[in-house]
Amino acid sequence: MTVLGGYLGAGKTSLLNHLLRHNAGRRLAVIVNDFGSINIDVALVESQEGDTFSLANGCICCTLGDDLAMTMTALLKRTAPPEQIIIEASGVADPVRIAHYGTMPGYRLDAIVVLADAETVRQRSQDRYIGATVHHQLLGAELIVMNKVDLVSPATCQAVRQWLGIVAPGARIVEAVCGAIPLALLLDLSLDRMAVTTDVVGDRLVDHRSSYETWSFAKDGSLDGARLRALVEQLPEGILRGKGILTLSDAPTTRTIFQLVGRRWSLKQGEPWDDALPSSQVVLIGLPGSIDAAAFEQALQ
Amino acid sequence: MTETTVFTATKIITMNDSQPEASAVAVRGGRILAVGSLDEMEAWGSFSIDNTFCDKVLLPGFVEAHSHSVVGGFWEYPYVGHFDRVAPDGRHITGCRSIAAVIERLRAADADLDDPEEPLIAWGLDPIYFSGESVRAATLDRVSTTRPVYVHHMSGHIVSVNTALMRHEGIDAESETVGIVKDGSGQPVGELQGMPAIMSVRSVFERLWSSLNASTAKWRFGHIARNAGVTTASELGAAAVTPEAIRQWQLVVNDPAFPARIVIAYSNRFGGPSDPAQMAAQAARLAEHSSDKLRLGTIAKIWLDGSIQGFTARLRWPYYLNGTNGLWYIAPERFREELLAYHNAGLTVHVHANGDEATDLLLDTVEQVLLASPRPDHRHTAQHNQLASADQFRRMARLGMSANMFINHIYYWGDQHLTETVGPERADRMNALATAKRTGVQFSMHSDEMVTPLGGLMLVWSAVNRVTATGQVLGKQERISLHDALRAVTVDAAYQLKMDHEVGTIECGKWADFAVLEADPFAVDAMALKDIPVWGVVLAGKLHPADGRGRE
Repeated sequence: MTVLGGYLGAGKTSLLNHLLRHNAGRRLAVIVNDFGSINIDVALVESQEGDTFSLANGCICCTLGDDLAMTMTALLKRTAPPEQIIIEASGVADPVRIAHYGTMPGYRLDAIVVLADAETVRQRSQDRYIGATVHHQLLGAELIVMNKVDLVSPATCQAVRQWLGIVAPGARIVEAVCGAIPLALLLDLSLDRMAVTTDVVGDRLVDHRSSYETWSFAKDGSLDGARLRALVEQLPEGILRGKGILTLSDAPTTRTIFQLVGRRWSLKQGEPWDDALPSSQVVLIGLPGSIDAAAFEQALQ
Repeated sequence: MTETTVFTATKIITMNDSQPEASAVAVRGGRILAVGSLDEMEAWGSFSIDNTFCDKVLLPGFVEAHSHSVVGGFWEYPYVGHFDRVAPDGRHITGCRSIAAVIERLRAADADLDDPEEPLIAWGLDPIYFSGESVRAATLDRVSTTRPVYVHHMSGHIVSVNTALMRHEGIDAESETVGIVKDGSGQPVGELQGMPAIMSVRSVFERLWSSLNASTAKWRFGHIARNAGVTTASELGAAAVTPEAIRQWQLVVNDPAFPARIVIAYSNRFGGPSDPAQMAAQAARLAEHSSDKLRLGTIAKIWLDGSIQGFTARLRWPYYLNGTNGLWYIAPERFREELLAYHNAGLTVHVHANGDEATDLLLDTVEQVLLASPRPDHRHTAQHNQLASADQFRRMARLGMSANMFINHIYYWGDQHLTETVGPERADRMNALATAKRTGVQFSMHSDEMVTPLGGLMLVWSAVNRVTATGQVLGKQERISLHDALRAVTVDAAYQLKMDHEVGTIECGKWADFAVLEADPFAVDAMALKDIPVWGVVLAGKLHPADGRGRE
């Protein structure tokens, strides 16, 4: 489960529209506050059941219903349960509180992503009524998407980025136009789908490869657990997302799943290798300059 | 010709300032034909006399402009709260003032269940009164080690469960859900905080949930109203307004045996359109389902913040004693859009604003909406409004707004407000009824049933005494007169529901809706007001005696 937070107008809806159109082959469920501005392409809607739309690409989009916990439980009971859900937090909600729902049985919290409107976020953070709410949302983010950077000057963009770094020291910050960021940052994709490429936003082609770098590593057999942990703990700030299906020398017969979002990472036991040949594969996505392939490889070999 | 019945009473307190008192009231076709002395009724021709109330006192039926019907569903299960309550069947239920009392009540309920597999559900638990002791599995296992036990806290956000239920639902040391409280050794202790954790006992929660939405819940709500002398109650936006739900309301409320009128506020909390204009249009369209007893399409509800005792209300500086501030439940821009849409559709909007910063946002927004779209007699109402100060009341008056005050808080949480939430000065002016009166704001008072028990007499008692549960007086300068207090639970509450032309006074032309009391409120000690026995109600001339008036 990914939580998408941010104040009104920060661009959550654009980002969700982007997601529903480019779902990277994942069966997504998007839970929105309201359908207000979600562009559900009528041609793509296969069926509608109450407030739930099923799309031809396997995704569904629904509203909160009576209660988020009940809606999420109902999703798991579908004949084809979603592979990942994205929850749009309301404009005033605390995304961290919403993230607690991701600890319910059958779910795993993937990422807390908060959007910030590069044009207005600093002004909003001073607002008498909602200033503290905006600060709190940013503080809870693992990944901040600084959106609408095309509407501000490079100097403002730099200033906002610095300011975000101060008010949300725990978050990683990326920039976007129309909420278009690589899906791999938002979703838990399979390793072969993670590489950052291009997106079509409106009628423009956005080449993410100038804004992000991807590093892939694969080897047969196992990795040294201690060395891996040491590497992960010392990764540069610019590393945004990582995933690995590994064999660790201290657990050679089962897969170990590595997940990293912003500063948070985990190693969890996966399925046993059984007859398959144990191997280790890792993908990291980072900002330009954050990936030192030679050093990473050396650390793992 | 329609028959005329004249009811006589020791005293009829009309709340009509043109004719404050009478001894007889004539009723024809459910409406009040005449009010005065028995002699004065002769002008309308022949009539029969009903002397049922010859030793009783009649008031206009109490009007509750902020309550929730969901409480009727909870009454399917035993109540284990701290304060006494009257059950829908009229039994006086003593509060559980100790953990031992909770256990005793749950054991009795356990013995009443035949099926050993059936979960025992209870509600109303408020452990803040047990001086730091928690009610968790170790306690609830003393009720049963085999039957699942589920106890819903009064706050609504916490559930206590026993070991049998945790075992049944697979809650153990491995459970990772946030809100499953664990001890130092990592074992779950039987307390579930927040919905993600409560959903870990889904099967029992869903059982409770279906009770809350059943038609029996609505019937019980009507019986609670009748037992408290309330003839017009509101469902202020916490129930679904789907076609099925509306049909259920119609079946229940329009039944001649149902003893109350119900006004349902529209809200989109349980689905429906999200575009403000569509919401408002749908809300207004519901009017076609209205009847004399069921009122739809006239009022709407919006929530701005949380509660003061939950530390989630939005406060002005200096915030809570602990330095924190609460939460917004809606973004200010979105609030303005919704308010404007309802306003333009002709609805009266009831806005939940507990803290004074929420009241500020409400006033700012109403002002903007009125400048954009002037409308006479809108009656937009600030609900709860607990910390509103004199400057805010002055603004409210100028904007043509009403205030519905949560006066019962003084009794139920006043002690906590003094020492834990806002401190003595602000606690003293909480629910500042005298200030509202002085500044010329139209105001009423509410129970927010189920947060506090429904009933006009308790509200009146709170308003004229301002006494807390431990007997302290909070802000005696904010006490109001008995007459003003009675107005606030009758005609002034009817005004906020846009029904003051139909109910709220005993006056020619209005519905014959009466609260029937065993004593005259003006003749008893102010501290005895809440204990005046209620015989029951008259609704449109039909008698509905309260159940179990003999009490426990």
